[in-house]
Amino acid sequence: MGKKRVAALEKVDADLPNLQYKIRRDPKSYGEDFRSQYGQYVTQRDIFMASPGAATSTGIVSFRDLIDFVTHVADCYPKDTASFPDDLKTILTLHHATLESELREKIVGSLVLLRRKEIIDSSTLLNTLFPILVATPSKTLRTLLFQKILSDLRTSNSKATNHKLNRSVQAQLFNLLSSDRASAKGIWAVKITRELWKRQIWTDAKAVEIMKEASLSDNEKVIGGGVRFFLGGDKEREELEDESSDEEAIDIGKIKHQVGINKKTKKKAKTLERAVEKVKKLEKKKKQPHPLNFSALHLLHDPQGFAEKLFSKHLQNSKSKLNLEQKLLVLQLVSRLVGLHQLTIISLYSYFIKYLTPRQPSVTSFLASLAQATHKYVPPDALEPLIQKIANEFVSEASASEVASAGLNAIREICVRQPMAMNDTLLQDLVMYRKSKDKGTMMAAKGLLSLYREANPDLLKKRDRGKAATMGLKSGAIQQRRFGEEEVGGIEGLELLEEWKEQERKRKRVERGLPEELGTDEEEEDDEEDWAAWEVESDASSDSGGWINVESDDEIEISDSEDEKPSAKKAKLEEAPKSADDEEKENAEKDKARELKISKLATTKILTPADLAKLQELRLEASVSKAMGNRTQSARLKELAARHIDDALTAEQIEGFSKLRKSTKEERIALAREGKGDRSEHKSTQALRRQKKDAEGKSTTNREKARKKNFMMTLGKAKFKNKRSLTQTRRVLRGHIERTKRGGKRGNIGM
Amino acid sequence: MGSSVKKKKEKKKDFQATKLRVGKTKAKADNFTDTSFKSKSIVVNTQSLSTTAPALGSQLYHYISLASSSRSDTQRRDALSYLINQFTSQPVNTPFPVSPIILLDKLIPLLLDGSASVRSQLLKLLRLLPASEINDRAEPVLLYIRAGLTHLAAGITIDALAALEWLLEVASDDAVSCPGGWFKTVKCFLLMLGWSAGATSTGWTTSNASFGKTGKPLARQLLVFAQFLKTGLINDQPVVHYNAGKNFPLWDVEAHMIPSRSNAYARLNLFGSPRDEEGEMYMDVDSRQRVFHAKFQSAVDAGIAKVKKEAGEAGRAAAVLAKVVRDGMAGYSGVNDTL
Repeated sequence: MGKKRVAALEKVDADLPNLQYKIRRDPKSYGEDFRSQYGQYVTQRDIFMASPGAATSTGIVSFRDLIDFVTHVADCYPKDTASFPDDLKTILTLHHATLESELREKIVGSLVLLRRKEIIDSSTLLNTLFPILVATPSKTLRTLLFQKILSDLRTSNSKATNHKLNRSVQAQLFNLLSSDRASAKGIWAVKITRELWKRQIWTDAKAVEIMKEASLSDNEKVIGGGVRFFLGGDKEREELEDESSDEEAIDIGKIKHQVGINKKTKKKAKTLERAVEKVKKLEKKKKQPHPLNFSALHLLHDPQGFAEKLFSKHLQNSKSKLNLEQKLLVLQLVSRLVGLHQLTIISLYSYFIKYLTPRQPSVTSFLASLAQATHKYVPPDALEPLIQKIANEFVSEASASEVASAGLNAIREICVRQPMAMNDTLLQDLVMYRKSKDKGTMMAAKGLLSLYREANPDLLKKRDRGKAATMGLKSGAIQQRRFGEEEVGGIEGLELLEEWKEQERKRKRVERGLPEELGTDEEEEDDEEDWAAWEVESDASSDSGGWINVESDDEIEISDSEDEKPSAKKAKLEEAPKSADDEEKENAEKDKARELKISKLATTKILTPADLAKLQELRLEASVSKAMGNRTQSARLKELAARHIDDALTAEQIEGFSKLRKSTKEERIALAREGKGDRSEHKSTQALRRQKKDAEGKSTTNREKARKKNFMMTLGKAKFKNKRSLTQTRRVLRGHIERTKRGGKRGNIGM
Repeated sequence: MGSSVKKKKEKKKDFQATKLRVGKTKAKADNFTDTSFKSKSIVVNTQSLSTTAPALGSQLYHYISLASSSRSDTQRRDALSYLINQFTSQPVNTPFPVSPIILLDKLIPLLLDGSASVRSQLLKLLRLLPASEINDRAEPVLLYIRAGLTHLAAGITIDALAALEWLLEVASDDAVSCPGGWFKTVKCFLLMLGWSAGATSTGWTTSNASFGKTGKPLARQLLVFAQFLKTGLINDQPVVHYNAGKNFPLWDVEAHMIPSRSNAYARLNLFGSPRDEEGEMYMDVDSRQRVFHAKFQSAVDAGIAKVKKEAGEAGRAAAVLAKVVRDGMAGYSGVNDTL
C-alpha cells in the first residue's frame, strides 16, 4: 500500500520537494539528479539575468522554487554549489529594487538559511544585507532585512561574543553615520544599535560611540534616536532583563503531583525531567554573578567634549532646526551629562534664563533639566540669578499654587546640589511659604527648610533653625562647607554598622545564656560567624555594581535572612523609651570615641558584601529617622534618599503633588476606574459579585442555589402546598408568626 | 439539561427522517445558500461588442499576449492555435504580419509550460517562422531550450529536444557559435544524459538510483546530441569565395560592405559584461573542437561505451554518436591548445 503511493508520487512531474527529501536522505545516490537540477538553476539564472525585471515564473518550476531547492541541499554538495551564494548576492545587490517581492524575499531567506548551514559566514551575510537595508525603497524589504540582520547578530553572539563580527558591523554603522551626517539613513544604525544594546549583545564603548555620533548628526530623526538612547536605553535594557527573568515560573511540586496521579507515560516522564532541568538551569542562572554592565552614560569617552558639542550645535546654534520637544530631549541629555560627570559648561546656565517663565511650554522639564545640570562644582554666581528669576517668576502670592510649588521644588532641587547658590533674604522669604494653604506649596517650602537646616542653618532665621541645627551650630558640628571643599574621606554610616553589629553580638550572647559583655577569648568565634555570613548572603548582594539601585537588593536581603529583621525592630523598641535628651547627651559623649572606632572598624576588618548591604540599609533608615516626619512623608523621604544619583530628575518630581498641565483623557478615565474592578460587560451587581466569587473558586449560598433551581423541581413542592391538611397549614402559619416575632429564622433580638 | 418539552422536541427533530412526497418539492438542505438573483440586465465587463472587428494586427497582439500570459492552459493553447491558423492561412509570399522576433521573445518561455498540448502547439508555431529572422535570436532561444533539457519534467525535456532540432535546422551556425551556445549546451546534454565529468565516483559501488528518469527515450536524446555535435564539429559550410575584381576599379568590395546581420562584432563583446569560459563565443570549428577535447571528450567517450553495451535502439544511437565524435575530432590536431 505504502509503496504504491510513493510510486504514484514519483510520476508527478517536477516534484522538487520530493527530490529534495530524497537527496537529504542519500545525497550520494542522487548526485546526478542534483547536478541536472543545478544546471536547470543555472540556465534559469541566465534567463533571469537576461531580463531581470520580467516575471519569470511562467513554467511549472519557477526560479524561486529552484533557489529554494538548491539552498536546502547546498550543504550536501559543497563543491558543485561553490558559486551559488555569490550568485544570490549579486542578484540581490544589483536588482533588489526591480525584483518581484516574493523572489526577493526568497533570496534573502535563502541567504540567511545558507548562513545557518554555515556555508557562508555572518560577515558576508551582513555585508550583503546591510547596504540594501539602507538603500532599498521598499518598506517590507526593509523590515525583513532589519529583522534578519538582528536575528543573525543575535545568533552569532549567542554562544560567545563574536568580537570580530561585532567590530566590523560597528565600524560599518559608524561609517554610515559619519560619512553623510545630513542623511536620514543613519536611523538604521541607531535602530540596530539600540536593539542590540537592549538585548545586551553590545555592551561596549564602541556601541556608545555610534550613538554619540548619531546624536551629533544633522538629521533630526537621527539626533532624536541617539539622544533618546542615552536617556532611556539603559532603562529599557533593565526592563527587558526583568521581564525575561520572571517570565517562566515552573511549579515543580505541582508537576510532580500530577505525575503521581495521572497515567504514567514516557511523554509525561520526559516533561517532568525537562521541567526539573529547566528549574535547575534557572537556579544556576540566578546564582551566577551578575554581569557588570556599565550604563551608556558611563561608557562615554570624553563626556565634556560631547556635552559641549551637543550644547553648541543643537541648543546654542540659532540655525538648529530642532523643535521644542527635540530641543528639550537634547537639553535633558546635556544636563544629565553635566550633573553626572560634574562637567563645567558655564554658558549652559545663562541659556536657561529665557525659558524660566511660567508661560513657557513644558517649563517643568526646563526646571528639571536645570536642577539636573547643577552639581557642587558649579559656581554659585552662575546659579544665583537663575534662582532669583525662578523665585520672582514662580513664587509669589499672586501666582497659582501649582506654579509656586513647582518653583519651590525646582529651587530645592537646585539647592540640594549646590546649597551655596542661595542667599539668606531670599531663603527666608521662601521659607515663609510653609504657612501656605496649598498643600503642594507648603510641602515644597518645608522641604526647602529642612534642606537648609542640614546644609546651612546660618542662612535661616533663628527660630526656623530647629533644635538639632541650633545645637550643631553651637557645638561647631555643623560648619558651612566652602565652594569646592571636599568631605573628609570615610565610609558614610560606618558607625551605624558598628553599633548594629555590637547589638547583634549582644543579642546572640543573651540567646545563648551568656553575659552581654564579651570575654577576650571568645572574639575569634564571632569572626568566624561573620565569614560564614558572607557565604550565605553573598549571592544576593553581589550584584550591587555601579548604578544598580540598591533598594531592590535590600528587599532580597530582608526576605533572605528572616532572623535579622525582628531583631532590629526589637532593638528599636528598646531604644524608644529613652528620652531624646538622653540620646543627645550620649551622642555628645560618644563623639570622640566614635572617631577612633571608625578607623578601627574600617582598617581592621574586611567588610563582607552582606555588611555593605546592611550598611546601605542602615544609612537609609538613619536618614529617614532623622527627618522624623509622619509616615507618608518618611516613606517619600526614603524614596528620595534611595534615588540614585544616576537617575534622571523628571518633570513630575518638580511638579510635585499638583499638576501643571491638564490631565489627559486616559488619565482621567484611569482615575475614575480605579478601585472599581474589571467590568468588561454590563451586568447586574449580583451577577458581577457571583462572577468574582466563581473566579475565586468560592461556593454559592443557599439563596443563590434556590434562585438557580430548575423550575420543574419546584412545581412538586408547590403542588404539595395545596394538598396540606388543616393541621399542617396551621403549623406553617404559626411558624411564620413565630418567626416574624423573633425577627427572622435565627432571630435578631440581641441587635 | 434538556428537561423542558421544547428542548426534547428539538433534540428529537435531529433524528427524524424527512419524508419525501410525490408532487412536493424536496426540503432544502441545512447548508443551502440562496444564490438566485433578480436583475434586469447583466453587465459583462470584459466583452465589447462592436460592428467593426479590430484590425488583424491588434487581434494578433491580443492573442500573443493571451498565449504568453493567460493563466488557464486551454486558453493559451487556443490562442496558439489561433495564431497558427492565421499564419498558415496567409497567402504564400506576403510578409509576416507581426515581427517574428517579437513573437519569438514573447512565446519562447512557453517551452517550459506545464501543459503538453501548449508545448506541442508552440513547436508547430515555431516551424512556421521564417528562418532568416531566427538567426539573431538564437541565444535567447537556446537559453530556454537548455532550461528545458535539464527540466525535471520528462515531457518538457522531450519537447526541448524537438525545439533544438528545429533550431539546428533553421539557424545551425548561430546555435553553436552564439555566446554560451557551444559550451553550455554540451554541458547540458551531459547533465541530461548523466555523463557529467564530476560523476565518476571513487568508491566501490556506484548507484544507478535516479529520480524520475524512467522511460526517457535515451536513443532520441543521443541522436539529437549527435546532430548538435555534428553541427558544431564538422565544418560542412561552403567557403565563400570573393570574386576579387568583379567590380573592376574596386577590390574586395564584399569584405568592406556594411554587415548584413545585426551585431556583427558580437564576438568582441564590446559592451556586455566580461564572459567566462562557459559564456564565450566559439566562432569556428577549431576552437569548438579544442573545448570539446579539453572538457568533454573523455566523459562522452565513457558514456558512449556504457550505452553501447546496452545495445538495442539506444546502442545503435550511441554508435551514431560515436561516429560523429570520431569524424568531428578527426581534423583536430591538438596543438592549438593555447587558451
